[in-house]
Amino acid sequence: MKKITIDPITRLEGHGKITIFLNEDGSVANTYLQIPELRGFEKFSEGRIAEDMPQITQRICGVCPEAHHMAATKALDDLFHVEPTSTAKKLRELLYSAFYVTDHTTHFYILAGPDFVMGPDASPAERNILGVIGKVGLELGGAVINTRKQNHWIIQTVGGRPIHPCFGLPGGVSRAINEEERAKIEEIAKGSIEFAKLTLKVFDDVVLKNKTYLDMILSDTFTQKSYNMGLVDKNNKVNFYDGKVRVVGPDGKEFCKYAPREYLEHIAERVEPWTYLKFPYLKKIGWKGFVDGKDSGVYRATPLSRLNAADGMATPLAQQEYERMYSTLGGKPANYTLATHWARLIELLYAAERLLELSRDPEITSPDIRNIPTATPDEGVGIVEAPRGTLTHHYITDEKGVIKKCNLIVGTTNNHAPLFMSIKKAAEDLIKPGVKITEGLLNRIEMAWRPYDPCMSCATHALPGQLPLEVTIYDAQGNEVKKLSQGIS
Amino acid sequence: MKTLVLGLGNPILSDDGVGIQVAHEVANQLNNPQVTVAETSAAGLSLLDSIVGYDKVIIIDAIQTKEGNTGQIYRMGTEDFSLTKHFSSPHQVNLVTALELGKMLNLAMPQEITIFAVEAKDITNFSEKCTPKVEQAIPEVVKMVLQELNE
Repeated sequence: MKKITIDPITRLEGHGKITIFLNEDGSVANTYLQIPELRGFEKFSEGRIAEDMPQITQRICGVCPEAHHMAATKALDDLFHVEPTSTAKKLRELLYSAFYVTDHTTHFYILAGPDFVMGPDASPAERNILGVIGKVGLELGGAVINTRKQNHWIIQTVGGRPIHPCFGLPGGVSRAINEEERAKIEEIAKGSIEFAKLTLKVFDDVVLKNKTYLDMILSDTFTQKSYNMGLVDKNNKVNFYDGKVRVVGPDGKEFCKYAPREYLEHIAERVEPWTYLKFPYLKKIGWKGFVDGKDSGVYRATPLSRLNAADGMATPLAQQEYERMYSTLGGKPANYTLATHWARLIELLYAAERLLELSRDPEITSPDIRNIPTATPDEGVGIVEAPRGTLTHHYITDEKGVIKKCNLIVGTTNNHAPLFMSIKKAAEDLIKPGVKITEGLLNRIEMAWRPYDPCMSCATHALPGQLPLEVTIYDAQGNEVKKLSQGIS
Repeated sequence: MKTLVLGLGNPILSDDGVGIQVAHEVANQLNNPQVTVAETSAAGLSLLDSIVGYDKVIIIDAIQTKEGNTGQIYRMGTEDFSLTKHFSSPHQVNLVTALELGKMLNLAMPQEITIFAVEAKDITNFSEKCTPKVEQAIPEVVKMVLQELNE
């Protein structure tokens, strides 16, 4: 049997390994995905005081610390049975919107852009941010850096510290903002909206106007009909910070909608003997293996899933783009994995618009930023949408608020099963008897993975952690046929 | 000359936190208003954001090499990164790429970047402590960073 390993997957968080075994005739016999995970966090958190969790959990991940900070803070509200003040909720959402602007911007220009702007067959030396900037222009490159910088200023100002906020407290936040800060945030939000519109135009020009790419997006190779998960507000509009988790089937019908406290009734985790990854699935449908469709409990939690799971966007420009996307893709839900990149840009626009709305909210500069908890802590669950999927934090404490048990379902974990399935399908469709296995072909297999933006052991960046993914292909005799290991020296 | 000492890593991931521990110790022993000591768990573009505007940057991080001995200390310059391309980031922009991007966009890039890397043993288990041999290397790295600052 031949074996192909993709190790490392470039431009991704963490280290992944895809191994593909071929039959005698050169078709794909089997595909395996291995992802190293950090270990022992639950144990690490036991015996610590719950109030430290927003600080500690954000260290799990070097990419989305703000998401962990926010989920942990919300879990503390629940744990201490305290409702945050209206201004506190708005400040949290404001910071979170700024975070989304930075994160989605980074993803598009660094991770997704190179495949489309430079093309899947471009050499790895060109298929990166430098190539992208070279092609789309220095001015836009400067705008990428500037948008990130300005929104980081918001995170630092509101959150008290760059990158790792220290402002979430049970019942509120630690600091109010003043009028001067508010006015600056408003200006940044306006600029971010323009930047998001510009980025959607780049997507239009580069991807949608290129028939080859549009055909690729709509191809069966990159289609997966699974359930879609996403947080929605009371009008079933996409919300990153708060609401209920809604799950919509591949047919577009609502399957369930649950409050954070109910997550264990709806989500279970599958363990497979060949990997230590866990595969969450919809409990009420059950685990039917790595298959899509209505009878399989596999669900996706990605930007596209969030849009699929909602009835629309809560801001006007993003809503227009939402409608345009679905009309281009032929209706809702869209099950095209590569359209996730488009959905992410619509979310970028929404985040910028929401930032502007919140910056203009009359309550946003109010000093009423905290309700002091008085109840005895016991158990709390907090859910937010992390950029890479629904993020759940669940803590159980003693009466002093010392952690006895901690369970986290992080964004990427939700997508383990669909991610594996997308890679497997792409491999099976692209590697056929007689087809020459080129680097461009292996990169297309990686493209099935990139939309999920999986964030593995992303907090680890000790050298030489090249966030690697290696694709290795072995033939029927077990000989290495081809190896793609970009970024590994 | 504006100088930045930047500890890089994850303070709750065993040896991955060595850079941050060294930075803390340097901050304790140093009294020089020209030098900023900072820590970050971010990398890639965020790393670029952190170093823009400084003339000289000293980065301390953990490293894992094929045949390295735990606790071994390496001093590297930018010429070494282009050979090894080892500086990774959560968003897969390694330091070389980030630096090239900064130059391309005419940002105020540091003239001099030095990296002190410590060979790590464990970077996958959550702990606030480094493993013993890495722990033992910390005072030596601190000394090397302080010497570097005096040059």
